[in-house]
Amino acid sequence: MNEILKLDHIQKYYGNQGNLTKAVHDISFSVNEGEFVAIMGASGSGKTTLLNCISTIDTVSAGHIFLDGTDVTEIRNQALARFRRENLGFVFQDFNLLDTLTVSENIALALTINHTPAEQVDAKVLEIAQTLSITDILDKYPYQVSGGQKQRCACARAIINKPKLLLADEPTGSLDSHSAQMLLRTMQSINEQSGATILMVTHDAFSASYAGRILFLRDGRIFTEILKGSDSRKAFFEKIIDVLTMLGGGAGDVS
Amino acid sequence: MYLKLALQNVKRSAKDYVIYFITIVLIVMLMYSFLALGFSTDITSMSENMSILTTGITALSVVATLISSFIVSYAVRFILGQRKKEFAAYELLGMEIGSIQKLFLIENTVIGTAAFLSGISLGTVLAGILTQLVKNIFDVPHSYHASFSKQALVLTILFFILMYGTGMVRAVHIIRREKIVDLLYDSRKNEVISKQKRSSLQLVLVICSVAAVITGMVLIRKGLSIQTNTAWSYLIGSTALLLAGVYEIYRCFPVMLITFAKRKKRILYSKCNLFYFGQIGHRIQSCGRVMAITAILFTLSLAAMFIGLVMGAGYKANMKASYPYDTGVAIDAPLTRNSFDGLISFVDEKCPVQKEMIYYLYDANGYSADALALSDYNTLRSILGFKKTELPNGQYLVHCDTWTYTEDIKAAMKTRPKITLAGVTLENPQGRIYEEAMEQYRMAGTNGYVLVVPDHVAQKLPANKIRLVMQLENGGIPELRSEIRGYLHSEQWHPELQAGTIWPDHVTMGVTVQAWGISNSLTGFTSISFCGLYLSIIFILLSCTVLAFEQLSALDHNRRSYQSLGRIGVSEEMQRKLIHRELSTFFLIPLILPAVVIFVLMAGAQTLYGAYILQKGLIPFYGFITISVFAMIYFVYYEAAYSLFKRNIL
Repeated sequence: MNEILKLDHIQKYYGNQGNLTKAVHDISFSVNEGEFVAIMGASGSGKTTLLNCISTIDTVSAGHIFLDGTDVTEIRNQALARFRRENLGFVFQDFNLLDTLTVSENIALALTINHTPAEQVDAKVLEIAQTLSITDILDKYPYQVSGGQKQRCACARAIINKPKLLLADEPTGSLDSHSAQMLLRTMQSINEQSGATILMVTHDAFSASYAGRILFLRDGRIFTEILKGSDSRKAFFEKIIDVLTMLGGGAGDVS
Repeated sequence: MYLKLALQNVKRSAKDYVIYFITIVLIVMLMYSFLALGFSTDITSMSENMSILTTGITALSVVATLISSFIVSYAVRFILGQRKKEFAAYELLGMEIGSIQKLFLIENTVIGTAAFLSGISLGTVLAGILTQLVKNIFDVPHSYHASFSKQALVLTILFFILMYGTGMVRAVHIIRREKIVDLLYDSRKNEVISKQKRSSLQLVLVICSVAAVITGMVLIRKGLSIQTNTAWSYLIGSTALLLAGVYEIYRCFPVMLITFAKRKKRILYSKCNLFYFGQIGHRIQSCGRVMAITAILFTLSLAAMFIGLVMGAGYKANMKASYPYDTGVAIDAPLTRNSFDGLISFVDEKCPVQKEMIYYLYDANGYSADALALSDYNTLRSILGFKKTELPNGQYLVHCDTWTYTEDIKAAMKTRPKITLAGVTLENPQGRIYEEAMEQYRMAGTNGYVLVVPDHVAQKLPANKIRLVMQLENGGIPELRSEIRGYLHSEQWHPELQAGTIWPDHVTMGVTVQAWGISNSLTGFTSISFCGLYLSIIFILLSCTVLAFEQLSALDHNRRSYQSLGRIGVSEEMQRKLIHRELSTFFLIPLILPAVVIFVLMAGAQTLYGAYILQKGLIPFYGFITISVFAMIYFVYYEAAYSLFKRNIL
């Protein structure tokens, strides 16, 4: 399989010399095309910072990030927006939908800013809406639909341009358990059926169990990595819990 | 401690206070400068009626204070909205509501005082300019000096306390009412988007509104042609229809346009148009009412400014025509020519008389007009520098410089082509109506027009009205008017009746003195123009403030929207363009109505009255001045709102 994402000794520091905070401390890993990777870790472990650097929303202090061979750390500021819309898709915890547009218009916006011919827009929106089972809410405004529906709309918007990498930051963070489960199944099916590459940041073991591989971060470094392989989701979930227990520290850490 | 914290807060929240500060400074500046002008002894001593300006400006200042107090409350609500989280933090720290109120009041006192002092300083400079302007109008020698007035300062302080105090009371009330939880989570509330009316319903509403506007215009036309009190009913009804129509058109038409544009997929799905239409559609729905009201206010302000300036300047331009003779005396009684001997000597002592002329207006029985002998008419024309005229045998002509009567006279001449006076039949086959300014009302007729007839016809008619015209050395002095009036009402004057006549039941006397007329007409011009200008600018300022705050009140929501846009790959440059486009549209929509009205008004005024204003190009010139003043203020507010909006979002 093709290597779609490669992180090479990424570091991210905040503050100045007198008061330096190391959010990400020398992280390297890669993601292959079609993979569903989750990044887990406690609050402050650096997972969101890492995602922001990959998504070009934030810059790295050192190291390189390659997306399909392009070093995103070298892209000029003016070209970043274009790079983002052509290569990346985003799903955020707070949905990031525009209140002033209907669900259908929110999805269509991702197409129009990518210069999709006007006559193709409606058909593409309908196609993706069918895939994500949101055809009945297309004409509604975000405030008229549930959290789960909003997130599926955000998903539709994120994948409609067939991005090389779908980035999800705590996508189930604002959802109830039922909606969260529906969304995760959707993401899994996008990954399996459309071959989309997904990188998801989460602190929730249940959400992470839908991924094929999980990277655990602690204090800005990769602590460990586990693969689902041929395990069932339940077995994988238990493995995650075990790692989290280890990650959380033992009795020796209590002074 | 509170003062230190308040000062820090002012510094930190400076960006939120910018528009608020500008508005207060400008209002205080205008209020002080106009009041200083109204109370300036230099100005009030220019003519005996100049107190009209003082009264007018003081009265308008009260109106401006009342309206400004609403705007200050409005601005305070916006600032409070921007700082809800900060106040919640104070409350969570255990600060009492009273202390927070105190803190906010100290902050506002600091800002208010700074704005007031800046306004007074700028106002002093402006008052000097205004004083120069008035002196220039009166042709009084002048040189610039900043104008300070104690009375104006006291009144401005009083009005400022009223205006600002209301806003502060409201702020204190809002702070007391808010709960911590609301303050903390206000920005997370769902955006409420009112339900959009169906397109068909909107179309019906627009059609009804257009019908209301048309009916209103028809009623206005009808009302203006009626001379009785019924005209008021028409005018009130038509104004109500016009306002309601315009208001509803404003609420529905932009929504209809956006709905229409959204149906055109090629337009809708081009680049970021989806986002733009969404933003604008939402703004129109949430503040369509404000847009409609500001549009109406802008229209009224521009119309008031334009009409004020044109009327004033037109008045000045036509003034000499209203007072063609240095002095004129009109007495509607059958007196002998000798009756004026004493008066002429009396005037000659005050101002040497260069030339005088005594003539009669004859009673043209049955024609509701006076008659004037051709020789007298020609003498009057030569005094005024007009070419003498002739009357072919059996003919007469009409002199009427009051244009409102011209059409009626033409119609009357059509129905009665011949007139018979003293047994002589006269006609006017060419329909000659002379229109040169001769101020014939009173001097050449009592109904606004006069029939000019051959001398032999006039002499057979009863000479019931006598007139005296005098040309004086250096044109005379304004005081002459009251002195002549005093003489005519004193025992010094001994009028003589013509043989065989008796005193009428009521004797009408009129005295016109050009010098007095000019100085008092200038007072009228100055008062109308300056009051119009003052009120219009205040209205424009306040409407601009409302518009700017209305757009800025959606900052939180817009920040989120533009952030989402950035995250899905829209460049910062594109976002900047979108902000510019959104704000321009928001500021442009309320301009459509005033723009249309001001150009219609200019064209209408030029067509209807252009010919009667003796100074050419006066209407377009003042139209340009009106538009320029408005554009300048509008641009300042647009720029302030744009930079604040951009800085908060990008």
